[in-house]
Amino acid sequence: MSSLDQMKRRLRERSELYLLRAAARDLGAGVPGTVAPFSGREGLLWRRLFVPLYRRLPWELKQRAMESLRMTASGWTPPERRPREPWRPPRPS
Amino acid sequence: MSERLIVIGGGGAGTAAATIAKRVNPDLKVTLFTEFPDIAYSPCGIPFVHGREIDKFENLFLSTVERYIEDGLDMRMETTVTDIDMDRGTLTARNTHEGFDKLVVCTGFVWEKPDVPGANLEGLHYVKDIRAAMLFDEQLDGMKRVAVIGATPLGVEMAGNLGHRGLEVDFIDEGPWVLSEVLDPDVAEPVHESLEKRGVTLRLGTRVEGFAGSGGRVGAVATSAGELPCDAVIVCLHKEPNSALAEAAGVKTGTTGGIIVDERMRTSLPDVWAAGDVVEVPHGLSMLPIRGLTGSHAYAQGRTAAFNAAGRDHVYDPVWIPWGMVAGDYTIGGFSIGETLATAMGVPYVLGKGVGVSRARYYPGATRTHVKLLAEPDTLRLIGGQIHGGEGVKERADFLAFAAKRGATLEDIAWMENIYSPPIGALFEPMAIAAQNGLEEIRKRAAVGAA
Repeated sequence: MSSLDQMKRRLRERSELYLLRAAARDLGAGVPGTVAPFSGREGLLWRRLFVPLYRRLPWELKQRAMESLRMTASGWTPPERRPREPWRPPRPS
Repeated sequence: MSERLIVIGGGGAGTAAATIAKRVNPDLKVTLFTEFPDIAYSPCGIPFVHGREIDKFENLFLSTVERYIEDGLDMRMETTVTDIDMDRGTLTARNTHEGFDKLVVCTGFVWEKPDVPGANLEGLHYVKDIRAAMLFDEQLDGMKRVAVIGATPLGVEMAGNLGHRGLEVDFIDEGPWVLSEVLDPDVAEPVHESLEKRGVTLRLGTRVEGFAGSGGRVGAVATSAGELPCDAVIVCLHKEPNSALAEAAGVKTGTTGGIIVDERMRTSLPDVWAAGDVVEVPHGLSMLPIRGLTGSHAYAQGRTAAFNAAGRDHVYDPVWIPWGMVAGDYTIGGFSIGETLATAMGVPYVLGKGVGVSRARYYPGATRTHVKLLAEPDTLRLIGGQIHGGEGVKERADFLAFAAKRGATLEDIAWMENIYSPPIGALFEPMAIAAQNGLEEIRKRAAVGAA
Protein backbone atom coordinates (compact mmCIF):
# COMPACT_ATOMS: atom_id res chain seq x y z
CA MET A 1 0.00 0.00 0.00
CA SER A 2 1.39 3.40 -1.00
CA SER A 3 1.95 6.12 1.57
CA LEU A 4 -0.81 8.17 -0.09
CA ASP A 5 -3.24 5.27 0.38
CA GLN A 6 -2.13 4.94 3.99
CA MET A 7 -2.68 8.65 4.51
CA LYS A 8 -6.17 8.47 2.99
CA ARG A 9 -7.05 5.50 5.19
CA ARG A 10 -5.88 7.32 8.29
CA LEU A 11 -7.69 10.51 7.25
CA ARG A 12 -10.91 8.58 6.87
CA GLU A 13 -10.53 6.64 10.11
CA ARG A 14 -9.59 9.63 12.28
CA SER A 15 -12.04 12.07 10.71
CA GLU A 16 -14.93 9.60 11.12
CA LEU A 17 -14.05 9.02 14.76
CA TYR A 18 -13.90 12.67 15.77
CA LEU A 19 -16.80 13.84 13.61
CA LEU A 20 -19.00 11.10 15.08
CA ARG A 21 -17.95 11.93 18.62
CA ALA A 22 -18.67 15.62 18.06
CA ALA A 23 -22.07 14.84 16.51
CA ALA A 24 -22.96 12.49 19.38
CA ARG A 25 -21.93 15.09 21.93
CA ASP A 26 -24.07 17.78 20.29
CA LEU A 27 -27.15 15.70 19.57
CA GLY A 28 -27.09 13.75 22.82
CA ALA A 29 -26.71 16.73 25.15
CA GLY A 30 -29.62 16.72 27.57
CA VAL A 31 -31.41 13.79 25.93
CA PRO A 32 -32.78 11.41 28.59
CA GLY A 33 -30.76 8.24 28.98
CA THR A 34 -27.54 9.60 27.51
CA VAL A 35 -24.30 10.51 29.27
CA ALA A 36 -21.30 12.58 28.20
CA PRO A 37 -19.04 10.52 25.93
CA PHE A 38 -15.58 9.65 27.20
CA SER A 39 -13.23 12.49 26.46
CA GLY A 40 -9.54 11.65 26.35
CA ARG A 41 -6.63 14.00 25.80
CA GLU A 42 -5.72 12.59 22.40
CA GLY A 43 -6.79 14.05 19.07
CA LEU A 44 -6.57 17.70 20.05
CA LEU A 45 -5.94 18.88 16.48
CA TRP A 46 -8.76 16.77 15.12
CA ARG A 47 -11.19 18.04 17.74
CA ARG A 48 -10.18 21.69 17.80
CA LEU A 49 -9.22 22.25 14.17
CA PHE A 50 -10.51 19.58 11.82
CA VAL A 51 -14.05 19.19 13.16
CA PRO A 52 -14.95 22.92 13.22
CA LEU A 53 -13.36 23.46 9.81
CA TYR A 54 -15.14 20.48 8.26
CA ARG A 55 -18.46 21.66 9.68
CA ARG A 56 -18.11 25.06 8.04
CA LEU A 57 -17.85 23.65 4.55
CA PRO A 58 -21.03 23.04 2.55
CA TRP A 59 -21.86 19.38 1.80
CA GLU A 60 -21.39 19.85 -1.97
CA LEU A 61 -17.84 21.07 -1.39
CA LYS A 62 -17.09 18.18 0.94
CA GLN A 63 -18.43 15.76 -1.67
CA ARG A 64 -16.25 17.31 -4.37
CA ALA A 65 -13.21 17.15 -2.10
CA MET A 66 -13.83 13.47 -1.35
CA GLU A 67 -14.26 12.75 -5.06
CA SER A 68 -11.10 14.59 -6.03
CA LEU A 69 -9.16 12.76 -3.32
CA ARG A 70 -10.60 9.54 -4.83
CA MET A 71 -12.19 8.57 -1.56
CA THR A 72 -15.49 7.69 -3.22
CA ALA A 73 -16.07 4.39 -4.99
CA SER A 74 -15.15 3.97 -8.65
CA GLY A 75 -16.39 1.30 -11.04
CA TRP A 76 -19.94 1.70 -9.76
CA THR A 77 -23.01 3.24 -11.33
CA PRO A 78 -24.17 6.01 -8.99
CA PRO A 79 -27.87 5.88 -8.11
CA GLU A 80 -30.04 7.52 -10.69
CA ARG A 81 -30.58 11.14 -9.70
CA ARG A 82 -33.27 12.19 -12.11
CA PRO A 83 -33.38 15.93 -12.67
CA ARG A 84 -36.42 17.07 -10.80
CA GLU A 85 -37.81 20.37 -9.68
CA PRO A 86 -37.04 21.14 -6.07
CA TRP A 87 -40.06 20.59 -3.87
CA ARG A 88 -42.05 23.74 -3.16
CA PRO A 89 -44.92 24.22 -0.74
CA PRO A 90 -48.35 24.70 -2.39
CA ARG A 91 -49.36 28.29 -3.03
CA PRO A 92 -51.74 29.66 -0.43
CA SER A 93 -55.28 29.71 -1.83
CA MET B 1 -11.35 -29.02 -20.07
CA SER B 2 -13.62 -27.30 -17.57
CA GLU B 3 -12.46 -24.24 -15.70
CA ARG B 4 -11.70 -24.35 -11.98
CA LEU B 5 -13.16 -21.77 -9.63
CA ILE B 6 -11.77 -21.58 -6.11
CA VAL B 7 -13.66 -19.83 -3.33
CA ILE B 8 -11.73 -18.92 -0.18
CA GLY B 9 -14.00 -18.65 2.85
CA GLY B 10 -17.00 -20.59 4.10
CA GLY B 11 -19.17 -17.82 5.54
CA GLY B 12 -22.33 -16.37 3.99
CA ALA B 13 -20.54 -14.84 0.99
CA GLY B 14 -18.29 -17.85 0.36
CA THR B 15 -21.01 -20.50 0.50
CA ALA B 16 -23.28 -18.36 -1.70
CA ALA B 17 -20.47 -17.82 -4.21
CA ALA B 18 -19.58 -21.53 -4.41
CA THR B 19 -23.09 -22.99 -4.54
CA ILE B 20 -24.50 -20.45 -6.95
CA ALA B 21 -21.51 -20.52 -9.31
CA LYS B 22 -21.98 -24.30 -9.57
CA ARG B 23 -25.70 -23.89 -10.14
CA VAL B 24 -25.25 -21.20 -12.81
CA ASN B 25 -22.50 -23.10 -14.61
CA PRO B 26 -22.53 -26.83 -13.74
CA ASP B 27 -19.43 -27.36 -15.91
CA LEU B 28 -17.31 -25.31 -13.49
CA LYS B 29 -15.14 -27.27 -11.08
CA VAL B 30 -15.80 -25.42 -7.82
CA THR B 31 -13.61 -25.84 -4.74
CA LEU B 32 -14.27 -24.12 -1.42
CA PHE B 33 -11.54 -23.69 1.20
CA THR B 34 -12.41 -22.87 4.78
CA GLU B 35 -10.22 -22.86 7.86
CA PHE B 36 -13.16 -23.99 10.02
CA PRO B 37 -14.63 -27.49 10.49
CA ASP B 38 -18.24 -26.31 10.02
CA ILE B 39 -20.18 -24.57 7.30
CA ALA B 40 -23.68 -23.28 6.62
CA TYR B 41 -24.64 -22.19 10.10
CA SER B 42 -25.89 -18.86 11.36
CA PRO B 43 -23.24 -17.16 13.52
CA CYS B 44 -25.76 -14.34 14.07
CA GLY B 45 -27.78 -16.78 16.18
CA ILE B 46 -24.96 -17.46 18.66
CA PRO B 47 -25.91 -14.70 21.19
CA PHE B 48 -29.46 -16.07 21.36
CA VAL B 49 -28.26 -19.58 22.24
CA HIS B 50 -26.09 -18.10 25.00
CA GLY B 51 -29.21 -16.25 26.16
CA ARG B 52 -31.27 -19.49 26.13
CA GLU B 53 -33.70 -17.97 23.65
CA ILE B 54 -32.71 -20.81 21.32
CA ASP B 55 -32.36 -24.31 22.76
CA LYS B 56 -29.11 -25.50 21.28
CA PHE B 57 -26.34 -24.59 18.87
CA GLU B 58 -27.27 -27.46 16.55
CA ASN B 59 -30.42 -25.50 15.62
CA LEU B 60 -28.22 -22.89 13.94
CA PHE B 61 -27.04 -25.29 11.26
CA LEU B 62 -28.78 -24.94 7.92
CA SER B 63 -27.01 -27.61 5.92
CA THR B 64 -24.11 -30.06 6.03
CA VAL B 65 -20.77 -30.49 4.32
CA GLU B 66 -22.05 -33.75 2.81
CA ARG B 67 -24.93 -31.89 1.19
CA TYR B 68 -22.53 -29.53 -0.57
CA ILE B 69 -20.43 -32.47 -1.74
CA GLU B 70 -23.59 -34.10 -3.12
CA ASP B 71 -24.21 -30.85 -5.01
CA GLY B 72 -20.86 -31.30 -6.72
CA LEU B 73 -18.64 -28.99 -4.68
CA ASP B 74 -15.09 -29.93 -3.69
CA MET B 75 -15.08 -29.00 0.01
CA ARG B 76 -11.75 -28.41 1.76
CA MET B 77 -12.64 -28.09 5.43
CA GLU B 78 -10.15 -26.97 8.10
CA THR B 79 -7.78 -25.95 5.33
CA THR B 80 -6.21 -22.53 5.59
CA VAL B 81 -5.01 -20.84 2.42
CA THR B 82 -1.64 -19.31 3.20
CA ASP B 83 -0.61 -17.81 -0.13
CA ILE B 84 -1.99 -16.82 -3.52
CA ASP B 85 0.33 -16.67 -6.53
CA MET B 86 -1.47 -14.71 -9.22
CA ASP B 87 1.29 -15.13 -11.84
CA ARG B 88 1.03 -18.90 -11.70
CA GLY B 89 -2.66 -19.03 -10.90
CA THR B 90 -2.11 -21.14 -7.80
CA LEU B 91 -2.78 -20.96 -4.12
CA THR B 92 -1.07 -22.75 -1.27
CA ALA B 93 -2.90 -24.67 1.41
CA ARG B 94 -1.35 -27.29 3.70
CA ASN B 95 1.90 -26.89 1.74
CA THR B 96 0.18 -28.03 -1.46
CA HIS B 97 -0.30 -25.89 -4.55
CA GLU B 98 -3.73 -25.80 -6.13
CA GLY B 99 -4.32 -24.26 -9.55
CA PHE B 100 -7.29 -22.04 -10.37
CA ASP B 101 -8.69 -20.20 -13.37
CA LYS B 102 -10.96 -17.97 -11.32
CA LEU B 103 -10.88 -16.97 -7.69
CA VAL B 104 -13.48 -15.56 -5.29
CA VAL B 105 -12.08 -14.16 -2.03
CA CYS B 106 -14.57 -14.25 0.87
CA THR B 107 -12.20 -14.23 3.82
CA GLY B 108 -14.58 -12.23 6.01
CA PHE B 109 -13.51 -10.26 9.01
CA VAL B 110 -11.53 -10.40 12.24
CA TRP B 111 -12.59 -8.62 15.41
CA GLU B 112 -10.73 -5.50 16.44
CA LYS B 113 -8.67 -6.34 19.52
CA PRO B 114 -8.44 -3.92 22.44
CA ASP B 115 -5.09 -2.14 22.32
CA VAL B 116 -4.56 -2.12 26.09
CA PRO B 117 -2.45 -4.08 28.60
CA GLY B 118 -3.72 -7.55 29.39
CA ALA B 119 -5.49 -8.08 26.07
CA ASN B 120 -3.75 -11.44 25.67
CA LEU B 121 -5.09 -12.88 28.92
CA GLU B 122 -7.23 -15.99 28.79
CA GLY B 123 -10.91 -15.35 29.26
CA LEU B 124 -11.26 -12.69 26.58
CA HIS B 125 -13.85 -14.17 24.25
CA TYR B 126 -14.61 -13.20 20.62
CA VAL B 127 -17.91 -14.33 19.10
CA LYS B 128 -17.35 -15.89 15.71
CA ASP B 129 -16.75 -19.63 15.48
CA ILE B 130 -19.59 -21.89 16.60
CA ARG B 131 -17.29 -24.50 18.19
CA ALA B 132 -15.63 -21.83 20.33
CA ALA B 133 -19.12 -20.60 21.23
CA MET B 134 -20.16 -24.10 22.34
CA LEU B 135 -17.13 -24.34 24.64
CA PHE B 136 -17.70 -20.82 25.97
CA ASP B 137 -21.33 -21.66 26.65
CA GLU B 138 -20.26 -24.52 28.93
CA GLN B 139 -17.88 -22.18 30.77
CA LEU B 140 -20.67 -19.62 31.21
CA ASP B 141 -22.51 -22.14 33.39
CA GLY B 142 -19.84 -21.64 36.06
CA MET B 143 -19.70 -17.85 35.81
CA LYS B 144 -21.53 -15.14 37.71
CA ARG B 145 -20.32 -11.87 36.26
CA VAL B 146 -19.12 -10.95 32.79
CA ALA B 147 -18.06 -7.76 31.06
CA VAL B 148 -19.10 -6.96 27.50
CA ILE B 149 -16.98 -4.29 25.86
CA GLY B 150 -18.20 -2.38 22.82
CA ALA B 151 -21.81 -1.19 22.43
CA THR B 152 -21.94 -2.41 18.84
CA PRO B 153 -24.90 -4.47 17.53
CA LEU B 154 -23.18 -7.70 18.65
CA GLY B 155 -22.34 -6.12 22.02
CA VAL B 156 -25.98 -5.19 22.58
CA GLU B 157 -27.12 -8.70 21.65
CA MET B 158 -24.52 -10.38 23.86
CA ALA B 159 -25.17 -8.10 26.84
CA GLY B 160 -28.95 -8.50 26.57
CA ASN B 161 -28.77 -12.25 26.15
CA LEU B 162 -26.25 -12.87 28.92
CA GLY B 163 -28.43 -10.76 31.20
CA HIS B 164 -31.41 -12.86 30.16
CA ARG B 165 -29.41 -15.97 31.11
CA GLY B 166 -29.11 -14.61 34.62
CA LEU B 167 -25.53 -13.34 34.59
CA GLU B 168 -24.50 -9.99 36.00
CA VAL B 169 -23.34 -8.01 32.99
CA ASP B 170 -21.21 -4.87 32.91
CA PHE B 171 -21.65 -3.30 29.47
CA ILE B 172 -18.80 -0.89 28.77
CA ASP B 173 -18.46 1.66 25.98
CA GLU B 174 -16.89 5.08 25.48
CA GLY B 175 -19.96 6.43 23.71
CA PRO B 176 -22.76 8.45 25.31
CA TRP B 177 -25.42 5.80 24.56
CA VAL B 178 -25.43 2.29 23.16
CA LEU B 179 -24.96 1.93 19.40
CA SER B 180 -24.08 5.63 19.30
CA GLU B 181 -22.34 5.21 15.92
CA VAL B 182 -25.64 4.18 14.34
CA LEU B 183 -28.57 4.94 16.58
CA ASP B 184 -29.87 8.42 17.37
CA PRO B 185 -30.06 9.60 21.00
CA ASP B 186 -33.87 9.86 21.05
CA VAL B 187 -33.99 6.04 21.05
CA ALA B 188 -31.41 5.64 23.81
CA GLU B 189 -33.81 5.70 26.76
CA PRO B 190 -36.10 2.76 25.81
CA VAL B 191 -33.11 0.71 24.68
CA HIS B 192 -31.23 1.34 27.92
CA GLU B 193 -34.31 0.60 30.03
CA SER B 194 -34.85 -2.67 28.23
CA LEU B 195 -31.24 -3.77 28.75
CA GLU B 196 -31.30 -2.76 32.42
CA LYS B 197 -34.46 -4.80 32.96
CA ARG B 198 -32.44 -7.81 31.82
CA GLY B 199 -29.82 -7.23 34.50
CA VAL B 200 -27.31 -5.29 32.40
CA THR B 201 -25.37 -2.50 34.12
CA LEU B 202 -24.54 0.18 31.58
CA ARG B 203 -21.07 1.74 31.87
CA LEU B 204 -21.28 4.35 29.15
CA GLY B 205 -18.82 7.19 28.62
CA THR B 206 -16.28 4.74 30.04
CA ARG B 207 -12.96 3.75 28.53
CA VAL B 208 -11.37 0.32 28.94
CA GLU B 209 -7.79 0.87 30.11
CA GLY B 210 -6.64 -2.70 30.59
CA PHE B 211 -7.37 -6.20 31.81
CA ALA B 212 -6.05 -7.64 35.04
CA GLY B 213 -5.97 -11.20 36.30
CA SER B 214 -4.00 -13.95 37.92
CA GLY B 215 -2.58 -17.17 36.56
CA GLY B 216 -2.85 -15.80 33.04
CA ARG B 217 -6.64 -15.49 33.25
CA VAL B 218 -8.67 -12.29 33.27
CA GLY B 219 -10.30 -11.37 36.58
CA ALA B 220 -11.14 -7.71 36.12
CA VAL B 221 -11.45 -4.89 33.60
CA ALA B 222 -9.65 -1.67 34.44
CA THR B 223 -11.72 1.28 33.24
CA SER B 224 -11.71 5.06 33.47
CA ALA B 225 -14.47 4.63 36.08
CA GLY B 226 -12.62 2.06 38.20
CA GLU B 227 -11.97 -1.67 38.20
CA LEU B 228 -14.79 -4.09 37.45
CA PRO B 229 -14.35 -7.72 38.54
CA CYS B 230 -15.45 -10.32 36.01
CA ASP B 231 -15.18 -14.01 35.16
CA ALA B 232 -14.87 -13.35 31.42
CA VAL B 233 -14.80 -10.51 28.92
CA ILE B 234 -16.73 -10.61 25.65
CA VAL B 235 -15.02 -8.33 23.15
CA CYS B 236 -17.49 -6.80 20.69
CA LEU B 237 -15.52 -3.98 19.07
CA HIS B 238 -15.45 -3.25 15.32
CA LYS B 239 -15.19 -5.76 12.50
CA GLU B 240 -11.95 -5.44 10.52
CA PRO B 241 -11.64 -6.87 7.01
CA ASN B 242 -9.54 -10.03 6.82
CA SER B 243 -7.82 -8.81 3.66
CA ALA B 244 -4.14 -9.58 4.35
CA LEU B 245 -4.03 -12.70 2.15
CA ALA B 246 -5.55 -10.93 -0.86
CA GLU B 247 -3.48 -7.79 -0.26
CA ALA B 248 -0.28 -9.86 -0.26
CA ALA B 249 -1.32 -11.24 -3.65
CA GLY B 250 -1.59 -7.72 -5.05
CA VAL B 251 -5.34 -7.09 -4.68
CA LYS B 252 -6.00 -3.41 -3.97
CA THR B 253 -7.64 -2.34 -0.73
CA GLY B 254 -9.40 0.95 -0.06
CA THR B 255 -9.83 3.61 2.60
CA THR B 256 -11.70 1.25 4.94
CA GLY B 257 -9.07 -1.50 4.62
CA GLY B 258 -11.55 -3.63 2.69
CA ILE B 259 -10.89 -5.02 -0.81
CA ILE B 260 -11.92 -2.60 -3.55
CA VAL B 261 -14.49 -4.18 -5.87
CA ASP B 262 -16.57 -2.84 -8.73
CA GLU B 263 -20.29 -3.37 -9.14
CA ARG B 264 -19.66 -6.88 -10.47
CA MET B 265 -17.57 -7.69 -7.37
CA ARG B 266 -14.41 -7.74 -9.51
CA THR B 267 -11.22 -6.86 -7.67
CA SER B 268 -8.28 -4.96 -9.14
CA LEU B 269 -6.85 -8.25 -10.48
CA PRO B 270 -8.27 -10.12 -13.49
CA ASP B 271 -10.38 -13.21 -12.77
CA VAL B 272 -10.46 -12.43 -9.06
CA TRP B 273 -13.73 -11.47 -7.35
CA ALA B 274 -14.41 -10.75 -3.69
CA ALA B 275 -17.52 -10.50 -1.53
CA GLY B 276 -18.77 -10.18 2.05
CA ASP B 277 -17.14 -8.60 5.06
CA VAL B 278 -13.75 -8.44 3.36
CA VAL B 279 -14.89 -5.92 0.70
CA GLU B 280 -15.98 -2.30 0.72
CA VAL B 281 -19.02 -1.19 -1.28
CA PRO B 282 -20.39 2.31 -1.81
CA HIS B 283 -23.19 3.85 0.20
CA GLY B 284 -26.02 4.86 -2.14
CA LEU B 285 -26.24 8.39 -0.77
CA SER B 286 -22.61 9.47 -0.62
CA MET B 287 -20.87 6.83 -2.78
CA LEU B 288 -18.35 6.58 0.07
CA PRO B 289 -17.13 3.01 0.47
CA ILE B 290 -18.33 1.24 3.62
CA ARG B 291 -17.97 -2.26 4.98
CA GLY B 292 -19.00 -4.56 7.82
CA LEU B 293 -22.61 -4.86 6.71
CA THR B 294 -25.10 -7.63 7.40
CA GLY B 295 -25.20 -11.33 6.55
CA SER B 296 -27.82 -10.66 3.88
CA HIS B 297 -25.46 -8.19 2.20
CA ALA B 298 -22.68 -10.78 2.29
CA TYR B 299 -24.96 -13.39 0.74
CA ALA B 300 -26.13 -11.06 -2.06
CA GLN B 301 -22.55 -10.01 -2.81
CA GLY B 302 -21.50 -13.68 -2.91
CA ARG B 303 -24.33 -14.33 -5.40
CA THR B 304 -23.20 -11.40 -7.54
CA ALA B 305 -19.60 -12.63 -7.56
CA ALA B 306 -20.84 -16.14 -8.45
CA PHE B 307 -22.99 -14.94 -11.35
CA ASN B 308 -20.14 -12.98 -12.87
CA ALA B 309 -17.46 -15.61 -12.22
CA ALA B 310 -19.73 -18.25 -13.76
CA GLY B 311 -20.27 -16.21 -16.89
CA ARG B 312 -23.60 -14.51 -16.28
CA ASP B 313 -23.65 -10.73 -15.96
CA HIS B 314 -25.02 -9.24 -12.77
CA VAL B 315 -24.57 -5.83 -11.18
CA TYR B 316 -24.80 -5.12 -7.42
CA ASP B 317 -26.20 -1.72 -6.46
CA PRO B 318 -24.74 0.78 -4.00
CA VAL B 319 -26.27 0.02 -0.61
CA TRP B 320 -28.97 1.79 1.45
CA ILE B 321 -28.48 -0.59 4.39
CA PRO B 322 -31.76 -1.50 6.01
CA TRP B 323 -30.92 -2.68 9.51
CA GLY B 324 -32.81 -3.83 12.56
CA MET B 325 -32.31 -5.70 15.78
CA VAL B 326 -33.75 -6.44 19.18
CA ALA B 327 -32.00 -4.55 21.95
CA GLY B 328 -33.06 -6.23 25.18
CA ASP B 329 -36.75 -6.63 24.34
CA TYR B 330 -37.06 -3.46 22.29
CA THR B 331 -36.95 -3.49 18.49
CA ILE B 332 -34.96 -0.82 16.69
CA GLY B 333 -34.03 -0.33 13.07
CA GLY B 334 -33.51 2.06 10.27
CA PHE B 335 -31.84 2.53 6.93
CA SER B 336 -29.00 4.54 5.41
CA ILE B 337 -28.21 7.26 7.97
CA GLY B 338 -29.77 8.75 11.08
CA GLU B 339 -29.41 12.24 12.48
CA THR B 340 -26.14 11.43 14.24
CA LEU B 341 -24.44 10.19 11.08
CA ALA B 342 -25.96 12.97 8.95
CA THR B 343 -24.66 15.54 11.43
CA ALA B 344 -21.23 13.92 11.56
CA MET B 345 -20.98 13.80 7.77
CA GLY B 346 -22.43 17.28 7.37
CA VAL B 347 -25.27 16.10 5.15
CA PRO B 348 -28.11 18.64 5.17
CA TYR B 349 -31.53 17.18 5.98
CA VAL B 350 -35.11 17.91 6.94
CA LEU B 351 -37.00 15.70 9.37
CA GLY B 352 -40.38 14.04 9.50
CA LYS B 353 -41.28 12.35 12.78
CA GLY B 354 -44.38 10.46 13.77
CA VAL B 355 -45.82 7.80 16.03
CA GLY B 356 -48.44 5.28 15.00
CA VAL B 357 -49.60 1.82 15.95
CA SER B 358 -48.59 -1.47 14.42
CA ARG B 359 -52.17 -2.78 14.11
CA ALA B 360 -55.62 -1.43 14.93
CA ARG B 361 -55.44 0.37 18.26
CA TYR B 362 -58.12 -1.86 19.80
CA TYR B 363 -56.56 -5.11 18.59
CA PRO B 364 -54.59 -7.12 21.20
CA GLY B 365 -50.83 -6.85 20.73
CA ALA B 366 -50.84 -3.43 19.06
CA THR B 367 -47.59 -1.58 19.77
CA ARG B 368 -46.51 2.00 19.23
CA THR B 369 -44.21 2.45 16.25
CA HIS B 370 -41.98 5.52 16.10
CA VAL B 371 -40.72 6.64 12.70
CA LYS B 372 -38.20 9.33 11.87
CA LEU B 373 -37.45 10.15 8.24
CA LEU B 374 -34.58 12.25 6.91
CA ALA B 375 -34.92 13.89 3.49
CA GLU B 376 -32.88 16.18 1.26
CA PRO B 377 -33.97 19.76 1.95
CA ASP B 378 -34.42 20.74 -1.71
CA THR B 379 -35.95 17.66 -3.37
CA LEU B 380 -37.34 16.00 -0.22
CA ARG B 381 -35.93 12.68 -1.39
CA LEU B 382 -35.51 10.19 1.43
CA ILE B 383 -31.93 9.84 2.61
CA GLY B 384 -32.31 7.98 5.89
CA GLY B 385 -34.52 7.02 8.77
CA GLN B 386 -34.92 5.26 12.08
CA ILE B 387 -37.81 3.21 13.40
CA HIS B 388 -38.41 1.76 16.84
CA GLY B 389 -41.13 0.13 18.85
CA GLY B 390 -42.65 -3.30 18.57
CA GLU B 391 -43.59 -5.25 15.52
CA GLY B 392 -43.06 -4.28 11.89
CA VAL B 393 -39.75 -2.43 12.33
CA LYS B 394 -37.89 -4.79 9.99
CA GLU B 395 -40.47 -4.60 7.19
CA ARG B 396 -40.60 -0.82 7.36
CA ALA B 397 -36.79 -0.51 7.29
CA ASP B 398 -36.63 -2.84 4.27
CA PHE B 399 -39.37 -0.88 2.50
CA LEU B 400 -37.86 2.53 3.22
CA ALA B 401 -34.39 1.49 2.06
CA PHE B 402 -35.87 0.29 -1.21
CA ALA B 403 -38.01 3.42 -1.56
CA ALA B 404 -34.97 5.65 -0.97
CA LYS B 405 -32.97 3.69 -3.51
CA ARG B 406 -35.69 4.38 -6.07
CA GLY B 407 -35.73 8.10 -5.25
CA ALA B 408 -38.96 8.28 -3.20
CA THR B 409 -39.73 11.59 -1.50
CA LEU B 410 -41.48 12.60 1.72
CA GLU B 411 -44.46 13.50 -0.49
CA ASP B 412 -44.52 9.93 -1.90
CA ILE B 413 -44.47 8.40 1.58
CA ALA B 414 -47.06 10.86 2.92
CA TRP B 415 -49.49 9.65 0.24
CA MET B 416 -48.47 5.99 0.14
CA GLU B 417 -51.07 3.25 0.05
CA ASN B 418 -51.13 0.93 3.05
CA ILE B 419 -52.92 -2.13 4.31
CA TYR B 420 -55.65 -1.56 6.85
CA SER B 421 -56.62 -4.84 8.49
CA PRO B 422 -57.09 -4.72 12.28
CA PRO B 423 -54.92 -7.74 13.21
CA ILE B 424 -51.98 -6.71 11.00
CA GLY B 425 -52.17 -3.03 10.12
CA ALA B 426 -53.68 0.23 11.39
CA LEU B 427 -55.65 2.72 9.32
CA PHE B 428 -52.85 5.25 9.55
CA GLU B 429 -49.45 3.95 8.58
CA PRO B 430 -46.71 5.28 10.93
CA MET B 431 -44.33 6.01 8.03
CA ALA B 432 -47.03 8.07 6.30
CA ILE B 433 -47.74 9.93 9.55
CA ALA B 434 -44.04 10.81 9.89
CA ALA B 435 -43.88 12.06 6.29
CA GLN B 436 -47.10 14.07 6.66
CA ASN B 437 -45.78 15.68 9.85
CA GLY B 438 -42.51 16.48 8.10
CA LEU B 439 -44.28 18.13 5.16
CA GLU B 440 -46.51 20.11 7.50
CA GLU B 441 -43.49 21.38 9.39
CA ILE B 442 -41.77 22.37 6.16
CA ARG B 443 -44.90 24.17 4.94
CA LYS B 444 -45.13 26.08 8.20
CA ARG B 445 -41.50 27.10 7.98
CA ALA B 446 -41.90 28.10 4.34
CA ALA B 447 -44.95 30.19 5.22
CA VAL B 448 -43.03 31.94 8.00
CA GLY B 449 -40.15 32.54 5.58
CA ALA B 450 -42.48 33.98 2.93
CA ALA B 451 -44.25 36.29 5.39
